[in-house]
Amino acid sequence: MLIGAIIAGIVFGLYYTLVGLGLNLVFGVMRIVNLAHGDFLMLGGIAAWWLFTTLGLHPLASAGLVIVAFVLVGLPLYYLVVPRLLRSRDSEMLSLILFFGLSQMIEAVTTIGLGSTERSLPPRLLGVGPIILFGTRLPKAWIFSAAASAIAVLLVYLYLYRTRLGTLTRAVMVSRDEALATGIDVNFVSAVAFGISIALAGVAGVFAPFILGSITPNMGVAINITAFAVIVVGTLGNPLGTLLGGIIYGVSLMLMQTYLSSWANLLPNLLLIAVLLVRPEGILGRRVRRA
Amino acid sequence: MSPDPLLSVDGLVKRFGGFRALDGVSFHLHPGEVLGLVGPNGSGKTTCINVICGLYAADGGSVRYAGRSIIGEKSHLLVKAGINRTFQSPRPFLSLTVRENVEVAAHYGDPRPGFDIDALLALLELDRVAQRPAAELNSAQQKTLDLARAMATEPRLLLVDELAAGLNPAELSRMAARLRALADGGMALLVVEHLMGFIDKVTDRVVVMAAGREFFGGTLADATRDPEVIRVFLGGGHHG
Amino acid sequence: MRDTRIRRIVLDTGIAAAVVVAMGVARGVYSNELMLFNFIIFLTLAQGLNIIYGFTGYLPFGYVGFYGAGAYGFALVVMHLHAPAMIGMVAAGVAALVLAVILLPLLRLSGAYFAIASMAAAQAVYEIVANPDLEDITKGPYGVSLADVFAPAFSYYTALAILAATLLLVVWLRNSRFGMSLQAIRDDSISAAMAGVSVVRGRTIAWLLSALIAGLVGGVFAWHISVFYPDTAFDLSVSIFATVFLLFGGATTLCGPLLGVFILYGIYNVIGIAVPQYFQFTYGALIVLLVLFLPNGLVSLLTSRGIRVP
Repeated sequence: MLIGAIIAGIVFGLYYTLVGLGLNLVFGVMRIVNLAHGDFLMLGGIAAWWLFTTLGLHPLASAGLVIVAFVLVGLPLYYLVVPRLLRSRDSEMLSLILFFGLSQMIEAVTTIGLGSTERSLPPRLLGVGPIILFGTRLPKAWIFSAAASAIAVLLVYLYLYRTRLGTLTRAVMVSRDEALATGIDVNFVSAVAFGISIALAGVAGVFAPFILGSITPNMGVAINITAFAVIVVGTLGNPLGTLLGGIIYGVSLMLMQTYLSSWANLLPNLLLIAVLLVRPEGILGRRVRRA
Repeated sequence: MSPDPLLSVDGLVKRFGGFRALDGVSFHLHPGEVLGLVGPNGSGKTTCINVICGLYAADGGSVRYAGRSIIGEKSHLLVKAGINRTFQSPRPFLSLTVRENVEVAAHYGDPRPGFDIDALLALLELDRVAQRPAAELNSAQQKTLDLARAMATEPRLLLVDELAAGLNPAELSRMAARLRALADGGMALLVVEHLMGFIDKVTDRVVVMAAGREFFGGTLADATRDPEVIRVFLGGGHHG
Repeated sequence: MRDTRIRRIVLDTGIAAAVVVAMGVARGVYSNELMLFNFIIFLTLAQGLNIIYGFTGYLPFGYVGFYGAGAYGFALVVMHLHAPAMIGMVAAGVAALVLAVILLPLLRLSGAYFAIASMAAAQAVYEIVANPDLEDITKGPYGVSLADVFAPAFSYYTALAILAATLLLVVWLRNSRFGMSLQAIRDDSISAAMAGVSVVRGRTIAWLLSALIAGLVGGVFAWHISVFYPDTAFDLSVSIFATVFLLFGGATTLCGPLLGVFILYGIYNVIGIAVPQYFQFTYGALIVLLVLFLPNGLVSLLTSRGIRVP
């Protein structure tokens, strides 16, 4: 049972990495917290559900469409709010409030448009029957979602470390001011990172019905806490640390569900508080953030 | 000079990770005396002030004030005991008025009963802006407000961190005269400064620091003739 | 000097008294008691949040955690010990204070981290209270019923008394050296220490006062409403509403949060109840616009011109 929980935890952990990755990218590049991240994830899930029920589209095709559409939403959204936000006195704190407002708007519009019922997709879409991994039986949909997540994470890695724009992005992460002084188009680099982040949330949403079970308009807050727990555990502002955070989170979640199932919902909250208090710089980090 | 110093720093060590910002610095300071702390950038001058006023915890050595060890004591308690400081870049309470800035210090810093805030503001020429928010002051005025906030706690030991930087010549000589007057009134001052003219006007003695420890003590005039001091400042032999 | 100070205190107290009297009289002339009661709840919560956010700069997104703790503190004592309502109110205050003490280490965190950690803490308390495993104690997700102590008039005036006390507390903070020292800590905690202010003590007192107010409000809510669920007692929108009212009006003032509640909650009662989502949308949009264009709230239209707002 222990081995099974750990294997399933790693599979889930890959998915949770995807959930947190975009949030961390935005934090790393812009030092702001996008509290509407969970709501973009929800929108991705709604999109996958709608594309399947009306057009019969396979989730994988939906994922492609969602990436394109969400980047196209993310870019103008960036230019609309973020530059102005970054000029303010305490942009980190104000970003939290602003995106919280955006999150409320998204939740309201979705509820008005679709009602508050749960929506799900049949798991057989991603394959029938279990896969046996190290003696543990796992649904094919889980493996499929985890693999898709792993590919998305790999693509972000390749973007950051193998492309010119990615190198500039990492430069902005180290120091926004110095990047500005060296003539990097910081706004453009940030806008692309923002677009990618929204798209990552959307893709995570497409696979949410298979991992989380269902999609509801008000799931954003819980997702945000989970995503924040993942990236805080894995070090804020370090996109690769997210992988570590995601897997630690996934494994602890599975252990909780195996041995203490009725208390499993407590996990993200307690993990987040504990890490913030004991090691606020994250597991890989060196920067201490204290008041 | 009275035999008992007000402040004795002995073998003080402060590490940041593997870097020893203070590496066994020692000096002492008597009431009514102005001691200049000079040295190249990174030699540990500001760190020294931060440790004495309780912002940083020391990693070794001792700091004795008025006959007792003050290592590990909380900043606000040291303020009440008579230690205060100014900041290199001034840190007023931006949303409070100038008078309120001083009022907070005069209330919590335990000056003698009946301390006259308005007289202090007049003395430092802040009376005209007393009702304005501190955020509206220019940088020279904010530096003066920093000094006012410190003086409102009636310190016996004042640590002055680069007060002169950025002041024009007229403001400089006024500030020098103010510090001298404080010392003449019995206050002990530790002055960190790069402007040697200012140091010359204000201090009785200087301690020259490099790489986290002192290596010269005496008058500024003697210091400028000391070959080791010249080497540190001009030769770049020490990595500070 | 002294005269302006006294004049300010009189003016501030007068405003506070006017609000309390108006809410007291309103019950006699207006039949929708629940709506008036909710106004009192939010007037008090917005000011409670003002104490921690306006004066110390910490914004707890999970402020509702204290409210929920208060509601369940009240409910547990009344359900299991059959205690009278006033003992329940004491338990409500104690429950919130205990939670606030447990969460004191969160004050080590800055800005956004504090806000999110406090939200996680409120969620954690909710998960514990709503856990079916604890049905014997908390009734789990199935909610509590407190019909034994139901007393609409008494509980209404108790809520009014809590509002009055909270408003006076804010008046005191705005006109006292202690309130000034809190603002000094908020502006620059290192300088505040160098003014002899105990930063830890100041923050702790503000945090406990703010939590106590939310706990008492939660307690009186439980008493007045008498049937409720963990989902209502820990509803994150309670935090959101209070935060938006406060930000909209303007923190650190007495009038800002009052204006925020009267205007926004007023609008909510006109258009929001039938389709809450329309209001949720308006809210969200309002938050976004406020942060971008008026981050210090309505009162900053005056204060930025050098006019003092009570």
